Amino acid sequence: MSTLATEAAHTREASSDVTFSVRNLWKVFGRNADKVVGTELEGADRERVKKETGCTVAVRDVSFDVRPGEIFVVMGLSGSGKSTLIRCLTRLIEPTAGQVLLDGEDIGEATPQRLRELRRRKMAMVFQHFGLLPDRRIIDNVAYGLEVRGTQRSERYARAREMIEMVGLGGYEDSRPGELSGGMQQRVGLARALAVDPEVLLFDEPFSALDPLIRRDMQSEVSRLQRELRKTSVFITHDLQEALKLGDRIAIMRDGEIVQVGTPEEVVGRPANAYVADFTSDVARTTVLTARWLVREPYPDERTDGPVTAPGTVLAEVLPMLAASTAPVRVVEGDTLLGYVGRDDVLRAIAEDQLDNAAAVAAIEEEAAEVLSEAAAAHSSGDAGGSAPAPAGSDA
Amino acid sequence: MVALIVAGYWASRLLGHPSWAGGFPTLVGDRFMAWLDTVYAWIVANRNDSPLFLYFFNYVSVGLGSAVVLVDRFLDLLTWPGVTLLGVLAAWRAAGWRVALLVLSTFAVFALSGLWNASMTTLSLIITAVLIALLVGIPLGILAGRSEGFHRAVRPVLDLMQIMPAFAYLLPFVLLFGIGNPAAAVVTAVYAIPPAVRITALAIRGVPSGAVEAATSMGSTPWQVLTKVQLPMARRTILLGVNQTIMLAVSMVVIASVIGAGGLGDAIYQALSKVNVGQAFQAGLAIVMLAIALDRVTGAVGHGARTPDVPERYRLPLLGGALALVAAVAAASRLAGVRGWPRDLSVDLSDPVNAVYGAVQETVGSTTAMLATWLLQGVLAPLATLLTDSPWWLVVLAAAALGWIFAGARAAAVSGAALVAVGLLGVWSNAMDTLSQVLVASLVTIVLGVLAGVVMSRSDLLAAVLKPVLDAMQTLPPFVYLIPAVALFTIGRVPALVAAVVFALPPVIRLVDDGIRGVPRPTLEAARSQGSTG
Repeated sequence: MSTLATEAAHTREASSDVTFSVRNLWKVFGRNADKVVGTELEGADRERVKKETGCTVAVRDVSFDVRPGEIFVVMGLSGSGKSTLIRCLTRLIEPTAGQVLLDGEDIGEATPQRLRELRRRKMAMVFQHFGLLPDRRIIDNVAYGLEVRGTQRSERYARAREMIEMVGLGGYEDSRPGELSGGMQQRVGLARALAVDPEVLLFDEPFSALDPLIRRDMQSEVSRLQRELRKTSVFITHDLQEALKLGDRIAIMRDGEIVQVGTPEEVVGRPANAYVADFTSDVARTTVLTARWLVREPYPDERTDGPVTAPGTVLAEVLPMLAASTAPVRVVEGDTLLGYVGRDDVLRAIAEDQLDNAAAVAAIEEEAAEVLSEAAAAHSSGDAGGSAPAPAGSDA
Repeated sequence: MVALIVAGYWASRLLGHPSWAGGFPTLVGDRFMAWLDTVYAWIVANRNDSPLFLYFFNYVSVGLGSAVVLVDRFLDLLTWPGVTLLGVLAAWRAAGWRVALLVLSTFAVFALSGLWNASMTTLSLIITAVLIALLVGIPLGILAGRSEGFHRAVRPVLDLMQIMPAFAYLLPFVLLFGIGNPAAAVVTAVYAIPPAVRITALAIRGVPSGAVEAATSMGSTPWQVLTKVQLPMARRTILLGVNQTIMLAVSMVVIASVIGAGGLGDAIYQALSKVNVGQAFQAGLAIVMLAIALDRVTGAVGHGARTPDVPERYRLPLLGGALALVAAVAAASRLAGVRGWPRDLSVDLSDPVNAVYGAVQETVGSTTAMLATWLLQGVLAPLATLLTDSPWWLVVLAAAALGWIFAGARAAAVSGAALVAVGLLGVWSNAMDTLSQVLVASLVTIVLGVLAGVVMSRSDLLAAVLKPVLDAMQTLPPFVYLIPAVALFTIGRVPALVAAVVFALPPVIRLVDDGIRGVPRPTLEAARSQGSTG
C-alpha cells in the first residue's frame, strides 16, 4: 500500500503545492448567523456580536494553506474555535462563509454524494474521544470506512489486519473497544483512519484524553507513521509542546482568528504579538531554536575555524560545542557554509527565554543590537574582544 | 384554603342552597350529553353502511380479530407441550435457567388452574397488541430520535396519552370497533405505544454523538449511520422499551375485559362482579405469573444479564435444534390427540380459597366492616358532600389557587380550566365524588408511603426483603389489586380506596427510600458533627 501512497503523493506534488486551501472561512453559530459576515459586525469582537445578534463567532475569517506531506498544527486554548475549524474542513459543521479547497476542489460546493465520496476516500479523521463503535470488534471498527464504501469482506479484513499490525495492536482483532486502554483505543482510531488510505488525515485533539506518558508514546507513533507514510495532516491541539514536537508549521488561534502561522522556530523565536509571546514564554527556546535561526555573517577578524554543525541542530546541542571552543560554530548545509553562531548569539537567545514580557524582549534586542554594533566597532578598532559585552550587562 | 371551602359550604347551606352557590349548572352538560348521544346513535346507525366504517374501521377490526385468532390458532396448533417447551427454551436462552423455571411454573399455573385456554387467549391478545405497538412505536421513536422537530411535535401527544387513565381509552375504541377482541387489541396497542416511542427516541438520542460523528466523517449515508451505529448501540435501551410496552399491554389487556376482551381478564372481571373471590384469585394468580414471567424474560434481554454463554458458531444450530424440537413435540402431541391442558386434570383452587375467604370474613369481617363504615361515613361521605355542595366557583378558585401556590400561573390556569371543563361536561357531582376518593387515597398513600420509605431506608435488611415485593407489586396488572381489597371489604367505595392505595404505594415507598439514601454522606457527617441524633 505504501508504494501506492507515495506514488499518489508524487503526482500530487507535481500537480500543485497546496493540498488544503482555506480561504476566508467563517463559522457563526446561531439563528442570525448570516447577519454577521459581510456586515459592519464583521469586525466587531465576540461579545458585541453576541449581544447584538445572539450569535457566537467560532471561526473568524481564517485563511491558510496546507502543503502536501506536512503536518499543519492548529493550536489554541479551549473556545478558540479550533475544533469547529477542523470540522468545517470536512463539513461535519457547515461553514457560514468562505471556501475550503481540497486539491483545488471546492468542498462547500460538493453535493451530498460527492461529499460522502470525499469523506470515504480522501480524508479521514481521528477524534479526541475516539468515536469507536463499542459493539463492534476492533477489526470491524478498523474496517468500518471500507465497509461503508462497499469493499468486500475478505478484502477489508485483510486491509484492517494490516493496519492493526501497523499501529502495534496485532492480536487484539477480536477484542471490543471497551476492553482496551485509552491509548490502545486511540491506536484503533488511528488504524481506522489509515485503513481507507486517505490523502489527508485530520486529527482533532487526538491525545488530549490520554495520560501524559501514553500521550508521548502516541506522539512518537504519529511522528513515525508520518515519516513512513507522508500523509498530509491537519492536527488540532491545545498543547504547545505537542504542537512544537509534531508540527511542520503551526497556526495559533485565538477567539476564532489565526494570530500567527509559522514554523515552530518562528512562533517561538519571533512571536507575532504579546499573546503568542506569552503563550510561548514557558518553552525552553534552546530546545526549539536551531542553528539556522541564529546564523549570521562573521564579524570582521572573527575566528572561522570553529566546529561544524548542521543547520537543524537545536541550541541545546550547540551549547556544548561552544563551551569547548572559543570560536563560533560553523553552520554547514551539505557543502554550503550558511554562516556562524557564536557564544553571544546563544546567550542572547537564552536571555530572552528568561523574560516573559514581549516589550522587555524588544528592549533587550534593541540594546543588544547597539552593543553588538559597538562590539563590531571595537573588533574593527582592534580592541580586546572580552571587555565589550561587560557594560551591556551592567546597564541591564 | 380548606377553611375557605368549608366556610363557602356553610354559607351556601345557611342561604338554603341558592342556585348560584351550588354544584355546577347542568344546562351545558346536558346539551353536550344529548349531542354525544346523537353521535353515538349516528355511529350505530351507520356502522354498516358508512364508507368510513365499511372500508376502514371494519376492515381493521376484522383484520385485527383475525390476527388475534391467528396467533391463538398457532398456540393451539403447538399444543400445550409445544407452547410450554417453546416458552421455557426461549426464556432459558434469553434470561438463563432461573427465569426458565419461572416460565415453567407460570405455564403450570395456567394448566393446573384450568385456565389454559383463557391464558392462551390473553397471550394472543398481548402478542398481537405488542406487535402492533412496536410496529408503530419503534419507527416513530427512531424518527423522534433523529429529528428534533418531530420529537417536539410528538412529545405533548405522548404526555397526554400517558396521563390519560386506562379506562378513558376504552370508550372511543368501542365506538369505532365495537366490542370484542379487535377493539381490545387496538386499545391495548394504543395504550402501550408511548413507552415504545419514548424509549426508542431516548435510546437513539443516547448514542454518543462522537460515534455518530465519526461514522459520518467516514462517509456513511444517513441510513448507514442508523443501521450500523445508532440501532446497534441503542439496542439494549430499545429492548427495555419493549419490556415496558409489554408490561403496559398486560395491564391493559386485563382492563379491556370490560369491553369484551376474552381471556384471563374476563375471568377476573366476571368473578369480581360475582364477588367470587376464589375464582378471581385463580385468574389473578395466572395473570400475575404471566406478568412477572414476561417482565423477567424481556427485562433480562434488555439488561443482557445471566444469559447463558453460547459460543457464536453454536448459536444458529442451537436455535434450529430448539425449533425442530418444539415442532417435533407439537407434532407428537397432536398425533397423540393432546391440545389444550385437559380440564379434568386441573386443581381447583377456588373452593379452598373461598373457604379461607369465608373464614377471614367471619373473623375479621366485622372489624373491616366497621372500619369501612367509619371510613365511609366519617371521611369519604362528608368530604364528597363538602365538595359537591360548595359553590362550584369556589372549588374552581381553590383548585386554581393551589395550582398557583405550588406551580405558578400556568398550572393555576390549567387546573381551573380543567375543573370548569369537567363542569361543562355535566359530570360535576361524579367528579367531586371521585375527587374526594382521590384526595383521601393520596393522603393515606403519602402517609403510609413516607413511613414505610423511612423505615426501609434505615434498615438494609428490610430493604432487601421489601425490594422484590415492590418489584412484583409494580408489575401487577391493576385489576389484580381489587381482589384482596374485595376479599377484605367486599365491594363498595372503601375497597376501591384500599386498592387505589395499594396500587399507588410502591412508587412512593421506593422514591422516599431512594431520596433518603441519596442524601450525600458529607451532609450527614456534618449534621452528626453538630450533634444531631441518628
